Amino acid sequence: MSVALRADREGGHAILVATGPFDLAHATEVTQAVRDAEASLNGCRSVDVELAQIDRIDGAGAVLLARLLDRLEADGRQASVKGDNPEAARLIALYRERRTVLPAPQIRTKNPLTRIGAVVAHLPDKANDAFDFIGRCAVAVPRAAVTPRSVDWRSLPRLMQEIGADALPVTSAANLVVGIIIGLLGISELGRFGAISYVPELVVVAHFRELGPLVTAIVVAGRSGAGLASKMATMKVSEEIDALRSMGFDPVRWLVLPRCLALAVTVPLLTWVGDLLALVGGLVATVVMTDMTPHAYMEGTLKAITASNLLTGLIKAPFLALAIGLIACGQGLLTRGGAAAVGARTTTAVVLAIFSTIVISALFTLFFALMGA
Amino acid sequence: MPSRPHITVDDLRIGYGTRVLMEHTTFQVERGTIFAILGGSGCGKSSLLRHLIGLELQQAGRIDIDGVGEPSQYEGVPPFGVLFQSGALFSSLTLAENLWLPLNRWTPMRGATAHELVQAKLDLVGLGAFAEYLPGEISGGMKKRAGVARALVLEADLLFFDEPSAGLDPISAVELDQLIITLSRDLGITVVIVTHELPSIFLVADNCIVLDKAAKGIVARGDPRKLRDESEIPFVHAFFTRSSYDVTANPGG
Repeated sequence: MSVALRADREGGHAILVATGPFDLAHATEVTQAVRDAEASLNGCRSVDVELAQIDRIDGAGAVLLARLLDRLEADGRQASVKGDNPEAARLIALYRERRTVLPAPQIRTKNPLTRIGAVVAHLPDKANDAFDFIGRCAVAVPRAAVTPRSVDWRSLPRLMQEIGADALPVTSAANLVVGIIIGLLGISELGRFGAISYVPELVVVAHFRELGPLVTAIVVAGRSGAGLASKMATMKVSEEIDALRSMGFDPVRWLVLPRCLALAVTVPLLTWVGDLLALVGGLVATVVMTDMTPHAYMEGTLKAITASNLLTGLIKAPFLALAIGLIACGQGLLTRGGAAAVGARTTTAVVLAIFSTIVISALFTLFFALMGA
Repeated sequence: MPSRPHITVDDLRIGYGTRVLMEHTTFQVERGTIFAILGGSGCGKSSLLRHLIGLELQQAGRIDIDGVGEPSQYEGVPPFGVLFQSGALFSSLTLAENLWLPLNRWTPMRGATAHELVQAKLDLVGLGAFAEYLPGEISGGMKKRAGVARALVLEADLLFFDEPSAGLDPISAVELDQLIITLSRDLGITVVIVTHELPSIFLVADNCIVLDKAAKGIVARGDPRKLRDESEIPFVHAFFTRSSYDVTANPGG
């Protein structure tokens, strides 16, 4: 039997006779039948829904009939059920009785402008959180010096291995390729002026001063920063951070300081190794693409490596490392919620870390330019 | 004529690799009743549940759900709902979206009708006002109730609950128990509960089996209140009366 809700009208009174299966499998038909029946009730003051001829009913069918009765009553009409079908009557009563009347629909708007506005409105809070975290880290350093046992020093070698040694292949490869790119760019541009002999100097200056620390930091932010942020976020949502606090540990001293220290030590080393590999990349590109001999390239390189070129790059590296560590750990510690929050915080941490390394690198360059270094 | 049992388990053996958790396990769950699987920690209650819902394949024996057959072989609209211990809600989706997901996958319902059904299920478990909340924004008890609503959304007539009261305060636990009773009595749903919460067992369960790790199977079955008052099996008596039990003196349970 097919689903139907036939309206038998007698003046201002109507009987809606429900027939067929009122269940989840036929919910679309039931919805249509309810809609058609409702449209035919204009002018009715009272409505009875006759349930006796319903074949089968489940929660879905009961909900649709219950909401029909609710709407009719909300319109000021009398609405009730009748007929010998206690199961249907009980189900409908259950869903009517448990209905929540919401004060106002809580719809999460997806309007882009509203979302931008919400982000901007939250900026002061986010800045406050960031400064609060930086302040807590700054306070943690002298406290750690006074109470060294409040820092997890034992994890330091492992962290240096994970953050530094394990990242060496990927940072080295990235720097080697960047060295090749600078070499090729130099050959192409300087070659137009017959100044191929300046390619080694270009590689040294561009890579040692700017690209070496930046490329290394970006790779570390993407690799180790993501790892740190997700680990800290997972610890936060699984209440491990709360457990640490409850046992009297300061998570900043116990977790954040060793990680920042491991980064501050290893990132300059990775940068230094990366600088060497960039020189190799530049050499390979120049020797393969031009008539310059390896010996001549080496001579040009050695002449270009000055304390200024070397140190302006290496001085940046620990600051970039600290930014990555603080952002990754800070975002991790701010996590609330479940698995999705871990992913979201990790993404935010990586984006912020990469952006911050670029900004910090630019500020250092500006500073050195102003100082004439 | 008596109706067929909703679940029939016959000479079941389950385990992992060469390790046997339980064997020669036979029981039936009658339609429309609340059936509890009881036992101490590590006796294989949750493993038995995972086999009953088809997530694991048994080593031997037969599980037959009426109208479904062997659950691990079944494909199609899920014939039963499951409430996992943690609620297992998708944390990136709102409560309404969590309920909408199976509805969208298995029914043609969309738009206002789907919204109405989802809202009604949330209303049924008392979470109508929290439809747009994320799981991370509600309490543990509310997560479990939302899990119940999700288990109900496809109108299954069989629900499995894994430790529904675990981690809940007494009031939330009783509220959830009342909800389970409502589901069974008013909606005629068969409920299988894995638990070791005694107040919950005595309040909701019509029938139960008691599993014992040492015996690797069922050591008692029947009305839990009768077992509490009448059982002479030391393990069962100790379990229901929360008294101490010397497992080395009674290796067979």
